[in-house]
Amino acid sequence: MKKYMMITPEGTKDFLFEECNVFDGICDKIQNVFEDFGYRKVITPGVEFFDLFSSESWGIPQEDMFKAADSKGRILVMRPDSTLPIARMAATRLKNHTLPVRLYYRQAIYQNKPSLMGKSCEVLQMGVELLGAVGKCADLDIISAAVESLSSVFEDFRIEIGHAGLFKVLSDNLNVSEEIREDIRIAIESKNYPALNDILDGLEDSLSVKAMRILPKLFGGIEVLEQALEMEELSPAKEELNYIMDLYRGLCELGYGDKITIDLGLVQRNDYYSGIVFSGYVDGSGAAILSGGRYDTLLDNFSVPMGAAGFALNIDEMAQVKFKSGFFEPSMPSQVLVFAEKGYEVEAVKYARSLRKTGVKAELSAFEKEEEAVKYAKAGNIGKVIKVSEDITEIK
Amino acid sequence: MKPLRIALTKGRLEKSTIALFEAIGYDCSQVINKGRRLILPIGNGEIEVVLAKAADVITYVEHGVCDLGVVGKDTILEQGRIFYELLDLGFGKCRFALAAPKGKDFYHGYAEKTIATKYPNVTKSFFEKKGMDVRIIKIEGSVELAPLVGLSDGIVDIVETGSTLKENGLEVIEDVVPVSARLIANIASLKLRKQEIEGLVDRIKEEISK
Repeated sequence: MKKYMMITPEGTKDFLFEECNVFDGICDKIQNVFEDFGYRKVITPGVEFFDLFSSESWGIPQEDMFKAADSKGRILVMRPDSTLPIARMAATRLKNHTLPVRLYYRQAIYQNKPSLMGKSCEVLQMGVELLGAVGKCADLDIISAAVESLSSVFEDFRIEIGHAGLFKVLSDNLNVSEEIREDIRIAIESKNYPALNDILDGLEDSLSVKAMRILPKLFGGIEVLEQALEMEELSPAKEELNYIMDLYRGLCELGYGDKITIDLGLVQRNDYYSGIVFSGYVDGSGAAILSGGRYDTLLDNFSVPMGAAGFALNIDEMAQVKFKSGFFEPSMPSQVLVFAEKGYEVEAVKYARSLRKTGVKAELSAFEKEEEAVKYAKAGNIGKVIKVSEDITEIK
Repeated sequence: MKPLRIALTKGRLEKSTIALFEAIGYDCSQVINKGRRLILPIGNGEIEVVLAKAADVITYVEHGVCDLGVVGKDTILEQGRIFYELLDLGFGKCRFALAAPKGKDFYHGYAEKTIATKYPNVTKSFFEKKGMDVRIIKIEGSVELAPLVGLSDGIVDIVETGSTLKENGLEVIEDVVPVSARLIANIASLKLRKQEIEGLVDRIKEEISK
């Protein structure tokens, strides 16, 4: 036997029965929400050219991508993200389509994760992309879709909202190199106060430095925004702050107030976010199960400039939370096992077919002996065994 | 209400953290007389302490099974990973340093240097920043031995007083980075249990600034 014949690669797994039901249940609910919001389904290839993802500003390290080569020696990768392929598709296949375009997907992404840390390399995601729409209405629409998707699966969750423009505007007047700016961003993103203070203590004190110091601390409810609007050091970002406030009020009016929180220190690595950014959390999962935002300049890279926004849900993580909670439908066995006596095989298939037509889940026995069929039914929790011979009799 | 669960690095950091918790008014008698138990309540049960090895503290916090953790910056630098680093607790102070046999000019010449270390990632990023190619060999035990027996040109290791180095004829060439204990938090926990965590952090901050 070959060495790796009996195991799956690290970070991947087989899903059985109930696990598949939980997955499908979650996906179906979310799919309904997406469809109700007017999104239409697309599927992009599992492999794409490396070039699509290689720009550093996309924040996907090259060592995280599974690579192969095509017959001409060009580098291919297994899709590590779905937004970029959809942007590519929109820029080509949908170039002349009337805007806006609402697209959704239900497909896995593949990223090489460090070994032995319990991370998955294959993650099923569902997400939407709203292409060619900007402004408050579009942002309210996309966040509503995010809230509705999560509430179709979980009772309790939080979506926190930030704005990518905040860090951009506020760090603009910092007199530092790009590397240091990136270090500051990383420290804010990871709420690493010691590291942030180390960097900022070395800089001349200014309003911008003060702003960097306070940014990661500003998360929570509406009071955070009220506080932020009062702060002199955040005044260059008034426009962004007012916008979040406006959006937050709108979401409250829509009845989502108890689900929405604010994090002004939400500054993701993906450079492509330009406006609002948001993440979703649920009790039972240590990581965000939803992330998204507005990326108005991303499509510039594909020569079809247009505003856009989207989000992705980590279905694997959601399914795990559901599983741990124990609230899910068990996988149902067949209701009837149809046993054929020798010579009556065709009749048995016919009978099983007639049962299925009436909505009964009927399975054909593959055994030669009656006792074996009964034993099998018992082991598999099949309630009824019916024997087909000259006549039809219930034997269990 | 679920107790706030905090993972502590067993040993010295555990003792300092417990002293800190006692100073801010939590009853820690169960941790002090723990026996063989690994999960222990402190105060009136609003906090639960989990004892683990340093690297595991990070793992438990990253996965969200512990909300908070106390772990050395040395382990954080070596492991990377995703979590919030909220506070420098000020104890467990030491530093990472590059050391080599005394009297030798470590940076002399163009030959590739070999470095022995327990912390390959810290070593890699230190020399990457210098734009220097080095060969890194991971050693599990006493790293000081490696240059003595001729396996490596130098070592990157944690240095407290420097006496072990001195006794073995080694000296610090360069400090890599200072190290101390940090309070870390799971990302989702900080968002979902903000008030509890921030309340605790504020009390700790007040105590350590005394």
